Amino acid sequence: METVTLKIFRYDPDKDNVPYYKDYEVPVEGTLLNALLYIKDNLDPTLSFRAFCRSEVCGSCAVRVNGKTKLACKTPMRELYEIWKGKPLKVEPLNHMKVIKDLVTDIDEPVEKMKTLMPWLVPDPSVVPSDPMHESIIYPEEMELYKDQIHCMLCFSCYSACEAVEDNERYRGPFAFSRAYRFQVDRRDIETAKDRRIRYAISGGLWSCVQCQKCLHVCPKGVKPAEDIQNLRRRSIRKGFTDKPGAKKLKHYVDWIYATGQINRLYLPAEVYGDSEAVEVLKSAYKSMGAEVWEVPKPVKGLLKFRDTYLEVLSKSEEKAMNIDFSHVREIDRLVSDFFKADVCTILDRALSKSYESKGLVDRLKSLLGGN
Amino acid sequence: MKIGFYQGCCFQGQDAHMFDTMRKVFEKLGVELELLEETTCCGGNTIEEEERELSYAINLRNIALSEAKGLDMLISCNTCYMVIAKAKLAADKNKKLKEKMNRLLKAEGLEYKGSAKIYHLLDFLRDVVGYEKIREAVVNPLTGVKVVPYYGCHVLYPKEIAVDNSDNPSSLEEILKALGAEVVSDYECKDVCCGYHSFYTDKNMTLRKLDRILNSVKEVSGDIIATPCPLCFKAFDIYQAKMESPPNVPSAFLTELMAYAFGLSREESGLKYHLIKVPV
Ligand code: SF4
Ligand code: SF4
Ligand code: FES
Repeated sequence: METVTLKIFRYDPDKDNVPYYKDYEVPVEGTLLNALLYIKDNLDPTLSFRAFCRSEVCGSCAVRVNGKTKLACKTPMRELYEIWKGKPLKVEPLNHMKVIKDLVTDIDEPVEKMKTLMPWLVPDPSVVPSDPMHESIIYPEEMELYKDQIHCMLCFSCYSACEAVEDNERYRGPFAFSRAYRFQVDRRDIETAKDRRIRYAISGGLWSCVQCQKCLHVCPKGVKPAEDIQNLRRRSIRKGFTDKPGAKKLKHYVDWIYATGQINRLYLPAEVYGDSEAVEVLKSAYKSMGAEVWEVPKPVKGLLKFRDTYLEVLSKSEEKAMNIDFSHVREIDRLVSDFFKADVCTILDRALSKSYESKGLVDRLKSLLGGN
Repeated sequence: MKIGFYQGCCFQGQDAHMFDTMRKVFEKLGVELELLEETTCCGGNTIEEEERELSYAINLRNIALSEAKGLDMLISCNTCYMVIAKAKLAADKNKKLKEKMNRLLKAEGLEYKGSAKIYHLLDFLRDVVGYEKIREAVVNPLTGVKVVPYYGCHVLYPKEIAVDNSDNPSSLEEILKALGAEVVSDYECKDVCCGYHSFYTDKNMTLRKLDRILNSVKEVSGDIIATPCPLCFKAFDIYQAKMESPPNVPSAFLTELMAYAFGLSREESGLKYHLIKVPV
C-alpha cells in the first residue's frame, strides 16, 4: 500500500517546553481526517485533534498542511500526495490562534472578536411582529442576499489564512465581517443597529483587509468574506463615513474611470492623502528612471460610449456607494485638454502608429503641437 | 501567433516602457501583441465597492473588445487578471447576468459571447509559448543569479480562477529556470500579500507586508525577487523606498528579466531604472 509521512505538530503545554514535530507513516487513502484517525487508532493514541461530523458540517477539523489551511474531512489524501509529489506533509494547528494541545486550538479569541461586530438580529418592531406566535416572514428574494453567509460553520479556516489578521491583531477576521454583513442586509434588523454595526466594523479593521482573496479561497462553505467586506465598505460610505482614505480612493476610481477610462496614479496621493506635492515628486522620480510621465492618462477610444454604459449601470443601481462627482469630472476633462492642447485621441493615435516606442513620446507630441 | 493585449494601468502612461519591453520579449517568442486600445481600467477590485455590476459591465466590455477582434486575451497584471476572470466566471455561470450585461453593451455595438480565452502571463508562457521556446530564446542566461520567485495572491486565489496550483505552484520557477537563473524557492513568503492594494486604505499594513516579504528574501540570501505582477513589483520597488529602513532588496517584473536574458540591454529591459538597484 502507498504511504506518505505526516510530520505532525505536537505540543502539550503541561509537559513540553517547546513544540516539536513527530513523523507518522499513513496510507494514501481516504481523507486527511481518516489519516489522523488512523494514527490515533493504530500508531499513537496521545495525538489530539478536533473532529466530529466527518462530513463538512461541524467545522471543527480545520488544520494546516504545508502551511495551507485545509478542512481535514474534506481533503483527500490522494490530492495532497499528488500536489506535494509524495513529499512529507507538515500538519499544524490553525494559524493566529493559541494552541491548547497538538492540533487543537483555542477559538475564544476569534469568537470574542466576532461578537464585537454584533452578528445578531436586533428586531425592528415595525417589521417583526411582537407576538411570538406570529410568523416573521422572510421572502426568497431577501434570502438571496445572505444565502451563502448563513452557511458559515465557524471552522476558522479563513481566520487562519487571513493576511489582515496576520499583520493587524485587532482585525476582527473574515468570517466575522461576513456574519455582520448577513445582518446588515436583513430587513428585520433595525436601522439604529445597522448604524452601530458599521461603526464597529470600521473600528474592527474594515479598511485593513488587503483583498488577498484567501478567505474565499479556503472557505469550505462558499462564503465570500472578501466580497462581503467590499459590500460593507460600500454601506459604510453610504452611511456617511466618507473621510476614510479608502473612501477617498474609491471616489478617485469612480470619477477618473468615468472621465478617462483609467485611474490616475499621479493624482492618487493628492486625492487620498492630500499630498499635493506628490504629483511633482512622482514626475521627477519617473523622469530620473528614464520614463516620461503622462500627467493625464490617454482617454480611451470610444470614451463617450463607454461613459454612457458606465452611467447606465450607476443610474439603475440601488446600492451604489456614491454619485459621480461631475464637477471633479469637468476638472479632469479640463486637465486633459489643457495638457494636450488638442483632441488628444487623434494625435496620440497618429504618433503611436508611427512608432511604438513610448520614451520621448510626450516631448515629440508637444513639439508636434508647437507647445512647450 | 497573435493575442489581444490588455494594458490596464500598468502598461501605459507613466509605465508605457513596461509595455515596450513586453512587446519586444514576445516578439522574440514569435507572439504578436495586439493592443486592445478601447479597453479601460478593470476597476482594480475597488470599483466593486461602488457597485459590483459596474465591475462586471466594465470587464465584460473589456473581454468583448477582444472577442470582437476574434482574439484571445493576455492580461499581465495579477489583479486585472483576477477581476476580469471573476467577471467572466460570473457571466458564464449566470445567464441572466450575461443577458443583462449584453443589453448594455449592445449600445456600443459589442457583445460578450464567452468565446475568448483569457490568459495571465504565467499560464500563457507555460501553456501557449512553452518553457522550451523560452529556453531557446535565451542568449544571456542569468547564470549564478539567485532569483526568488514571488507569485502574489490574485493568480493563485481564489481557486476558481487560479492559473497554477494554489498550494504548490511551479510555473514561475520553471520560467526562471528556463532563463538560466538559480531559483531559490524555499522561503515562506511566496504568496504573502505584497500590500500594494492597502497603500491607500491602510498604509501601515503595506509597510508591514513589505518588511516581512523582503526580509524573508534576505534570509535565504536571494539576489533579487521576481514577480509576474506589475503591482507587486511596484510595491517592492517604489513602496519599499518609502519604508523607514528599507531592506534594500532588488526586484524585477518577470518580463524585464526575460528581456535581459533574451539579450536586451539593462536600459531596454527596464532593469536600469529601478529605485532599488538591480545587481545584473
Ligand atoms: S481578503 Fe481580506 S478578509 Fe479575506 S483573507 Fe484577505 S485580508 Fe483577510
Ligand atoms: S466563513 Fe467559511 S472559512 Fe470562514 S469560518 Fe465560516 S465556514 Fe469557515
Ligand atoms: S469533522 Fe466536522 S467539518 Fe470536518
